[in-house]
Amino acid sequence: MFCLLQYDNLDYMKFDWFVASRYLLSRRKQSFISIISIISIIGVSLGVATVILVIAVLDGVEHGLRDRFLANEAHIVLRDFGSAYFSDYDRKIEEIKKVNGVVAASPVVYSQSAIFRQDNNNIDAVILVKGIDPELEENVTGFSQFVKGSTGFKDTRIIEEASFINDVKITGGIVLGSRLAFRIGVNEGDVLRLVVRMVEDALNPDSLYPIIKHFVVIGLYESELTVYDNQIAFIHIETAQEIYEKPGQANVILVRLEDAERAPEIAQKMTEPPAFDKIQMPMTTTWLETHAPLFAALELEKIATVIIEALIILVAAFNIASTLIMTVMEKTRDIGTLRTLGSSRGNIMRIFMIQGSVIGMLGTFIGTALGLGLCWLLSTNIVRPTPWLALGLVVFLILIQIVIAIRHLLPYAKIRGIGFTILWVIAIAFGLYCLVEPISLQELGLSQIYQMNQLPIRVNWFFVGFINVLSFVICWLATIYPAWQAANLNPIEALQYE
Amino acid sequence: MDTLITIDNLHKSFYDGDSELKVLKGVNLDIYTSEILSIMGASGVGKSTLLHILGTLDRPTSGSILYEDEDITTFSERQLASFRNNAIGFVFQFHQLLPEFTALENVAMGRLIKISKRNKSRDTDLNNNSTYQDAQRLLEDVGLAERLDHYPSQLSGGERQRVAIARALINQPKVVLADEPTGNIDDKTSQAVLNVLQKINERLQQTFIIVTHDSRLAERADRTVELVDGKIAD
Ligand SMILES: Nc1ncnc2c1ncn2[C@@H]1O[C@H](COP(=O)(O)OP(=O)(O)OP(=O)(O)O)[C@@H](O)[C@H]1O
Ligand SMILES: [Mg+2]
Repeated sequence: MFCLLQYDNLDYMKFDWFVASRYLLSRRKQSFISIISIISIIGVSLGVATVILVIAVLDGVEHGLRDRFLANEAHIVLRDFGSAYFSDYDRKIEEIKKVNGVVAASPVVYSQSAIFRQDNNNIDAVILVKGIDPELEENVTGFSQFVKGSTGFKDTRIIEEASFINDVKITGGIVLGSRLAFRIGVNEGDVLRLVVRMVEDALNPDSLYPIIKHFVVIGLYESELTVYDNQIAFIHIETAQEIYEKPGQANVILVRLEDAERAPEIAQKMTEPPAFDKIQMPMTTTWLETHAPLFAALELEKIATVIIEALIILVAAFNIASTLIMTVMEKTRDIGTLRTLGSSRGNIMRIFMIQGSVIGMLGTFIGTALGLGLCWLLSTNIVRPTPWLALGLVVFLILIQIVIAIRHLLPYAKIRGIGFTILWVIAIAFGLYCLVEPISLQELGLSQIYQMNQLPIRVNWFFVGFINVLSFVICWLATIYPAWQAANLNPIEALQYE
Repeated sequence: MDTLITIDNLHKSFYDGDSELKVLKGVNLDIYTSEILSIMGASGVGKSTLLHILGTLDRPTSGSILYEDEDITTFSERQLASFRNNAIGFVFQFHQLLPEFTALENVAMGRLIKISKRNKSRDTDLNNNSTYQDAQRLLEDVGLAERLDHYPSQLSGGERQRVAIARALINQPKVVLADEPTGNIDDKTSQAVLNVLQKINERLQQTFIIVTHDSRLAERADRTVELVDGKIAD
């Protein structure tokens, strides 16, 4: 009784599923329908796969940037109005440290200077000079981890040596942004001239002459954030106070927090009594505010991505709907028969909704697997996409297709169909990947602000879940109309349908 | 003899815009338990219409149909589906088998529907195992023991019609309604199908109502009535 045994498990299989699954897997008279359902599966999978991949990249970029910002920058920057100089910064720092959540604070003298190489009388660059207290600064930004070379700004041995070799009076050591140094062609040990201010000539009131100070390059700063590496230089705060004639003063206080995410809240607290009465620093800028436009742009890009992918899935859902409408037409007589056998409208509705939902589910599932697979490929760097690889893949696919086309080699139509679908989805997705990956670094403008040699990937599982649900719900909704149509066929007319 | 169905003053009209087409104009008929009743009549007189109404596929314009004192014209859509499932078996001129299912599965279909409805009320005395055993027995009854796993496209016209008869019987309905069951097969095959019908009627005591043009079929019925001008002729 072989044939009876195989039905045992049907006990728990509901009638609706029984019929729907048979319709899904049966050899179709009209192969057009199965082609459309394959197209819908491909559409859904591509939508889901690309959204997972793109969002993972955007998330990765965002987190990469955050990490680097947080490593390089203070969480809160405090200023007086108009960046005015103030003198009692030691007392202010003590008060700031008393604020809950603050870990460290350090005074900074920010200024700008034009620089010349020693052998050059033209301005090489105008740079941001950051006068810091190395010990205090270390607790706020941990800047020394990005410095190649020394951070001994006042190391007399280096200064005297450079002074001797170059036969000039050296004011102190300077750490230069690595890209800046590369751009103007200086290296560790070279001497750099800073124009620190202009002075009126007592004899000739019409002309100004510059006060120039000599610094020796003691190290290079490489944060991998172009904004800094391209235009910043560090000197000792005391030297800065001296050359810019602000003895005992600073114009900025940098603050590090225990939890960077709390920056807005703590900054707020500092500008309100009672803390404000003691700190007296009215202008606060958090790192989030500094980079708000960038984060907003990334956020916008994510939303746009989701919308575009939702549209792709929607198109696929329309395919599902048209597949179902055609299936309903093809099965009209069957529907009439099932009604005479006593199935309710609900049964009929479910039979067709199950079919569409399974297509949607399959597409969603393949898409998720594919998206995660591509994320993994990108993050492991195992396969570097090149045009040659893409070409190879196409050739491989054509070969497979030829093999499949010789029908006898693969006996089962269903397996052929599913195999086809999966292969094509993979091929199209990989093709997209090959096209998109090499340009995306430049396209996103990332290499400008963020020196990356690999796309950062960060898979947000919550989002993957959300996209799965979204995709499935869209596909499911697409099944309602055709199924409803099937359920409302007049059984007598359906029976007589030719 | 017990009366199974009482048709009382049944009217059916079809409306097309303002024009009314009166098809059934007061049908009165008693149908008895276990009889084979044949309904004859000219083409277009309304035989199929009457059968559809008896089978609850269509509703009458007026009049009542009592199945053992229950008036089915008052049933809700959901009750009707369940009534069709339990109490009525259909056999049509064109077999109407589901092409994606084997003969055995086609026969079992009605029972599977019944089980899926019963499952909601947690009644588990029906199970799929007994379903397929019953379906197999019915196929043996109609002489198709060797054709269980064949698909409709692999069966001959007469075999398909016999599968359709087996399918109509799976839930032990009160009545089997057949609309020209031999209309589409040759004489010899029709005789075989009719033999099967008669054998089942004797064994299972099912009531059969058969609409036909075939006088030889009518001769083999217990009783024949004729539909003339929307009424049962005396
Ligand atoms: N849905 C409908 N709408 C309008 N008119 C209908 C409809 N169904 C049937 N009719 C009409 O009702 C009349 C009876 O049709 P029915 O199919 O019952 O005839 P019949 O006796 O079965 O004929 P036949 O022996 O040819 O099968 C016909 O004139 C037909 O045109
Ligand atoms: Mg007819």
